[in-house]
Amino acid sequence: MKISYEWLGDFVDLADVSPKDAAEVLTRLGLEVESLTLVDLSQIVVGKVLEQQKHPKSRNDLWVHQVDLGGGRVQQIIAGAPNAVPGTLVPVALPGTTVPNGKVVKDMNIAGYKASGMLCSAEELLLGDDHSGILILDSGTPGEPLTSVIPNHAVMEIEVTSNRPDCMGHLGVARELAAGLDRPLKRDFMPSFTGTANPPGREVIKVTIEDPDLCSRYIGGVIKGVKVGPSPAWLQRRLRACGVRPINNIVDVTNYVLLEYAQPLHVFDLARLEGAEIQARRARDGEKLLCLDGIVRELNSGMLVIADAKRPVAIAGVIGGEETAVTDGTTDVLLEAATFNGPSIRQTARALGLRTEASARFERGLPPELALAGARRAAGLIAELAGGSVHRDWPDVYPRPQEPVRVRLKPWLVDEVLGAHVPLQDAEAILIRLGFHVKVLGDGEWDVLPPVFRLDVTIPEDLVEEVGRVFGYDRVPPTLPGRRHDRWTPLVPSIDRRLDAAREVMAGAGFTETWNPALVSGRKLEALRVAAYAMRVSNALSDEMDTLRTSLLPSLVAAVALNRDRGRDEVRIYEIASSFLARVGEKNSQPEEPLRLAAVATAGTTADSGRAAFYALKAVLGGCLEALSAPPCTYQRGAAELFHPGRCAAVTLEGRQLGYLGELHPTVGASLKVEGRLVAFEIDVEPVLALSRIPRAQPLPRFPAVERDLAVVVEEHVTAGSLLAAIKESAGDLLENARAFDEYHGGQVPEGHKSIAFTLTFRSPERTLTDAEVDKVMTEIKSTLEKRHQARFRA
Amino acid sequence: MIGDAEEFVNDYMARISVAPDEKELEQVRLALFGSNGALTSLIKEIPTLPKDQRGERGRQLNGIKQQLEAAIAARLGELRGARLADIVETEAIDITFPGPPLGRGYIHVLTQVRRQIETVLESLGYQVELGPEVETEWYNFEALNLTEGHPARENWDSFYFTPELLLRAHTSPVQIRAMQRIKEPPIYIITPGRCYRRDAPEATRLPYFSQVEGLAIDKALTVGDMKGTLLYMIQSLYGKERKVRVRPSYFPFTEPSFEFDVTCGICNGTGCKSCRHKGWLEVGGCGMVHPQVLRNGGIDPAEWNGYAWGFGIERMAMLKHDIDDIRLFYESDLRFLEQF
Repeated sequence: MKISYEWLGDFVDLADVSPKDAAEVLTRLGLEVESLTLVDLSQIVVGKVLEQQKHPKSRNDLWVHQVDLGGGRVQQIIAGAPNAVPGTLVPVALPGTTVPNGKVVKDMNIAGYKASGMLCSAEELLLGDDHSGILILDSGTPGEPLTSVIPNHAVMEIEVTSNRPDCMGHLGVARELAAGLDRPLKRDFMPSFTGTANPPGREVIKVTIEDPDLCSRYIGGVIKGVKVGPSPAWLQRRLRACGVRPINNIVDVTNYVLLEYAQPLHVFDLARLEGAEIQARRARDGEKLLCLDGIVRELNSGMLVIADAKRPVAIAGVIGGEETAVTDGTTDVLLEAATFNGPSIRQTARALGLRTEASARFERGLPPELALAGARRAAGLIAELAGGSVHRDWPDVYPRPQEPVRVRLKPWLVDEVLGAHVPLQDAEAILIRLGFHVKVLGDGEWDVLPPVFRLDVTIPEDLVEEVGRVFGYDRVPPTLPGRRHDRWTPLVPSIDRRLDAAREVMAGAGFTETWNPALVSGRKLEALRVAAYAMRVSNALSDEMDTLRTSLLPSLVAAVALNRDRGRDEVRIYEIASSFLARVGEKNSQPEEPLRLAAVATAGTTADSGRAAFYALKAVLGGCLEALSAPPCTYQRGAAELFHPGRCAAVTLEGRQLGYLGELHPTVGASLKVEGRLVAFEIDVEPVLALSRIPRAQPLPRFPAVERDLAVVVEEHVTAGSLLAAIKESAGDLLENARAFDEYHGGQVPEGHKSIAFTLTFRSPERTLTDAEVDKVMTEIKSTLEKRHQARFRA
Repeated sequence: MIGDAEEFVNDYMARISVAPDEKELEQVRLALFGSNGALTSLIKEIPTLPKDQRGERGRQLNGIKQQLEAAIAARLGELRGARLADIVETEAIDITFPGPPLGRGYIHVLTQVRRQIETVLESLGYQVELGPEVETEWYNFEALNLTEGHPARENWDSFYFTPELLLRAHTSPVQIRAMQRIKEPPIYIITPGRCYRRDAPEATRLPYFSQVEGLAIDKALTVGDMKGTLLYMIQSLYGKERKVRVRPSYFPFTEPSFEFDVTCGICNGTGCKSCRHKGWLEVGGCGMVHPQVLRNGGIDPAEWNGYAWGFGIERMAMLKHDIDDIRLFYESDLRFLEQF
């Protein structure tokens, strides 16, 4: 919201407070000044246009002006707008000047015509957003500085928090500033009533509220005999400074009061209302309204409208209707000052895609007392600036008057909450400056009545905040809490820190961690056939992120594709994050959110390279589980949607399936145009952590080991796992370790067979083994393998 | 024989002294002391001598043996020294030549920053609490005073599955769940995790991001305690010259509420281009827990009070590493991830 520093000066004495200091004070009070624009007009001079002619040679529409700059000095200046006609007073920037918007003016020659200076628009002088024409001044003497007509000023962009609609106008901001500076506010909240004319306004127009939940107050001020015309320059300037375009004196007053009091107002041309009647009612489905912006909008019963006897004339709190708007010919007006339900206005503005200055204020919930203040202020200003007389005793329909909320404060709560000492009289003074009434009760407690425009203050902590922010939180010394406790919770390492052990293994194996969005394209999950338990967002921003991922793998494959596109051939990445699996048949249940570790690595294009990559990744997964101090897992042939059916292992830990390891199905990579094979795993990590144990030290062996290699020839279908199981079973206690290290086809190995080589390590904890002892065990192993798997042995 | 002995010794001493390398020297040693070596043969002959000569002969040969062994050891020392000297003299390498690529992987910068934050706050006695990312309307909004139609709700525009179920817009629901679970204060927790808001992706914000919130519930906690905690955290993460300020703001779940700012690390708070001449960088929000929120978590506000704060992990990482586009964190471009 734009706040004019100069306007604030109407309400609080700022003679000795610079705009920068004022901004600093407001920020510290909680009205964050996001930017401060200082407008220095002292280099701009007033000029009077003597002649204007169209540039005869230029292809663009340009006008050549002769401008009187006083003291007999006349300059030729070229401009692109036609509105600086002879006789007008204009702001002139001479060559060498930098105008407030940053443009540097130079001597120029345009198609043979000399141009010495620039005629400025409001936008160039940062006096408003209007850049359509030259700013025309309504007073001034050629040659004098512009500041004698328009003072230097400053505009602050302030972010007002949603609990403070009262600060969405200059008066509210000024009240804060006055309290922050500890000086008086020069204006009372409630202006006096100026209505005098007869008959009473409520005899001129009848107001009814059909739905008091949506409209809690409606004031309809009748003002007759106004003369519509332009507003005075000071008022136009203030509107422009706040980004509002002046229209005419009547409309400008409503905008002015909106910017001053934060109360949105509307004016109707009384003569154009049908039936001398105003209703605040729900729209009927299908009703239409031609709005002030020239657009016809279709309404529905969720929207509140202001209607006359026949039709809607405004969408309440959002925008007025064109057919009842004030025009140059208007003489009698109805001034609307109302209070509408915040959520309803927000809903309507959203449904229409139309957020206006009015709706932005109403949607925060304005206090009904503000409507009266705004109505009185506007009525007074209209009478002052447009003539006309305000009818006394206007309709003020207010079915459920706002109940005052009193707050009981134990004033020592202030010190207790802040952790700093605020003298009681200071705390009281602060509340009074902010408009609160404080009554000190016999027991020392305070009975505090917030001002009518502060609906946000309802509990003692709210009052502590009021005192604290004016007292200054910088004055609260930082401390660390430290009490004597007789109860505590011992530190438990977080899951994420425990998983750092796996991250170390992944990093050592060359895998880089990624964080990928959990919201993905549901369409893509469906294409990969992993959408069965997917949850779809009902109000997605786009179909690229409309569904929660059920697996981390599609994100990782997409990341591989991205890195391939950016020139990286070999990619090894992983992620630790939750997947989301809907609980079937329970629409309103929270899904399962298993925390997972998933990795993807690129391999070559051949079947062998995929196979090698599979085993390499299996080692990485095994390393992770070992680093997490989990027992070893087992692998069984598995089948999962994303995996190559012949190269997929289900990973199981103590009877519980953790997930899958394997080469990805060729269609997965192909769907993202990734060349070559991909290997991957994805496992649930919480069961792993649950089985994690502190490793116990084993005594180091005292006797040497005996190693024997064994090459076993078996039929193709026999797995290394089953051979290992048979070896372990038959070997007895002396076998310390058995490991398969090579698989071989061809050569002396018959067709349909393969040779698997094992290294067996034997050791006794009691003695050095003899060859004879080991030979005996080897014979036993061989015989078991022969019987069980028809194995033969290579030398 | 005595005269022969002198010649024998001189002959071998000469051969030892001219042995050009350790291998030749070993040949000499074997020629003397090997099983058929010259000296070994002489020693073997002793028993064949007349008894009265054996003692003297033995002493003589023993003397020769010691003399020659010492000479061999000395020569071996010389030769080894020369060889090692030669190694270090002749084997210089180009140490500017690079090592082969290590091929190590990298830990995501957000994980690193989250780890630092957890470590710092654990040192103050806070414990990590986690909660579901798909939340109920009650935990995400109602319990935090963000009732239906509340004007502040527009800041927490959320993704819904059903009117009851949504992606959490902040990790604050975990605070309520923690209060309900722990029941009896003191409670000192932090709640890191992913959050979601319905904001179109751009350089400064994304519809998904990560937050850490902290919550302290105890007896007689103050705004000063909250400031001290934030200052400790920020100085631990960014260095002890940093300052923290709290600015009044508004959140429905805290009262009083604040934004907290940190002095700009580039200008140290004096104002520069990177902090838009403010000297301060916005980091997060904080405040004293609203009594109604305590009640919603099952804690009696007459007995206990608390403070809470929250901020984006991405924001912290951006400040720490001068990252100017939040989207980089979630793009998985290795060229970015390998910088940290």
